[in-house]
Amino acid sequence: MLILSVESSCDETAVALVEDGRRVLTDQIFSQVALHKIYGGVVPEIAARSHLEVIVQLADRALAEARVSRREIDAVACTYAPGLIGAVLVGVNFAKSAALALGVPLIPVHHIRGHIAANYIAYPELEPPFLCLAISGGNTMLVDVRGYTDMRVLGRTRDDAAGECFDKSARVMGLGYPGGKPIDDLSQTGDDHRYDLPRPYVGDNPFDMSFSGLKTSVVNIVHHCEQTGEELDKPGLAASLCRAVSESLVGRTMEAAGMLGYRHIAVAGGVAANSRIRRDFRAACEREGKTLYTPPMRLCGDNGAMIGAQGYYEYLAGTRANSDLNAYATMEL
Amino acid sequence: MLMLALESSAKAASAAIFEDGAMLGLSVANAGLTHSRTLLPMAEDLLKNLDKRITDLDVVAVAQGPGSFTGLRIGLSEAKGLCWALEIPVIGVSTLEAMAWGGPDMEGAMLCCAMDARRSQVYNALFTVKNGHPQRLTADRAISVDELKDELKASEKPWILLGDGAALCYNILNAEPGLTLHLAPEPLRIQSARGVGLAAQDKEPVPPEALLPVYLRLSQAERERQARMKE
Repeated sequence: MLILSVESSCDETAVALVEDGRRVLTDQIFSQVALHKIYGGVVPEIAARSHLEVIVQLADRALAEARVSRREIDAVACTYAPGLIGAVLVGVNFAKSAALALGVPLIPVHHIRGHIAANYIAYPELEPPFLCLAISGGNTMLVDVRGYTDMRVLGRTRDDAAGECFDKSARVMGLGYPGGKPIDDLSQTGDDHRYDLPRPYVGDNPFDMSFSGLKTSVVNIVHHCEQTGEELDKPGLAASLCRAVSESLVGRTMEAAGMLGYRHIAVAGGVAANSRIRRDFRAACEREGKTLYTPPMRLCGDNGAMIGAQGYYEYLAGTRANSDLNAYATMEL
Repeated sequence: MLMLALESSAKAASAAIFEDGAMLGLSVANAGLTHSRTLLPMAEDLLKNLDKRITDLDVVAVAQGPGSFTGLRIGLSEAKGLCWALEIPVIGVSTLEAMAWGGPDMEGAMLCCAMDARRSQVYNALFTVKNGHPQRLTADRAISVDELKDELKASEKPWILLGDGAALCYNILNAEPGLTLHLAPEPLRIQSARGVGLAAQDKEPVPPEALLPVYLRLSQAERERQARMKE
């Protein structure tokens, strides 16, 4: 079964062709990072405009690269939530019109479910149930993946996403946008015990997380140095930050896996590219005899293939939408 | 030659089907629901009720701006999705020009098309009806009502106000000496896919990737950045 999939929830436009949920024929991605860099973050209106400008070209390129004709497409899948509303709307409206015109089913896909499904592409042997930590610029959640379309959120951030914490810290440290990569690079030579940063715990749910206090601590350290003339140890701060984020994530994830008795742990989303987080997860999983799944970098960021992968399993589960499908900024998993 | 016309630049959304230049059907939704929910179902139902298949379409025409940024993108994304899938071309039509085509067509009538652009401006263009069709007198632009007043005064004929900004202009300018203004009747006043389809008849179709919205305005972030650069 061949699915054409469309992703436009934030600052990447992507159109992919995926067969049976696991085989990616092509994934055409246009990243808008360069457009947003000068603003220090994603500008929703600029993102929405850009999606509309490139979406047809990406769809054409996908067909050409996969050597597939429109008539071979069996269904169209698209991210319909959550995301920047103006951005998601472009992909949703393009996708549902294409599905209607092609006379094939339309499959709405939750963006975070897509991130989780990126693991199915990278690991053909992986099947639910497993535990997945989904960490990106906009979302941070710990998910019990009981089945391909049966999920339960165990915990989530109460405020900022982990990626937001990296982006905002990078901004105040003068490292530009997006912040994940430069902080990761700087941290390589830094002392991760250089600065004392908080590991917040939030009340009633042990699996809920919080990153706004961590971000504020970084901001305060930078400002303190500016005001007192004390030299800021940037690599040390970057390394301390990576350690703090990683320890917030890894401990909770391992605890949840133990509680559920799961052997398989997957990490998904853009922040899964962070080398400290990967290293700590690898060590923790080795120690506790768990199998770790971390998709390759190209599948960690937003892409079209992951929507095609989840779209396939949604299709099998009977998920369908009509021409009145709308886009949503927020949506429960 | 079967054409689907789409309009989603403001509060009302509409779809129309034209065959060889004649309108077969029109569907309008003006309940304040998002166009993302209403526009494509209207097109789908129209085709069904007119006993046409979507694959019968030869071209799609769409209002490409100015107008609500999000509204325009919904219409254009749908036009692009349909045309890409059907391998047919698309025609982008100025929202203001479509308004003029959908308006009264008495010979010699002076048409002032206006949309509320906020920030004390209107998106506007002026037309006169010649040989039964609107002829353009100005380009599409974002203009203050005050500037518009001076241009309207240059003609001694009465102006017919069209568009979702017509009432706004009428309320501000009605008492102005030397200016005769008429609000077009409601069904002709708001922008409609009928006007889009009529205006598209003499336009050159383009491939869907070439279709771009005409916002007539930068995003707020870009405007603020330009203002900072000037300081």
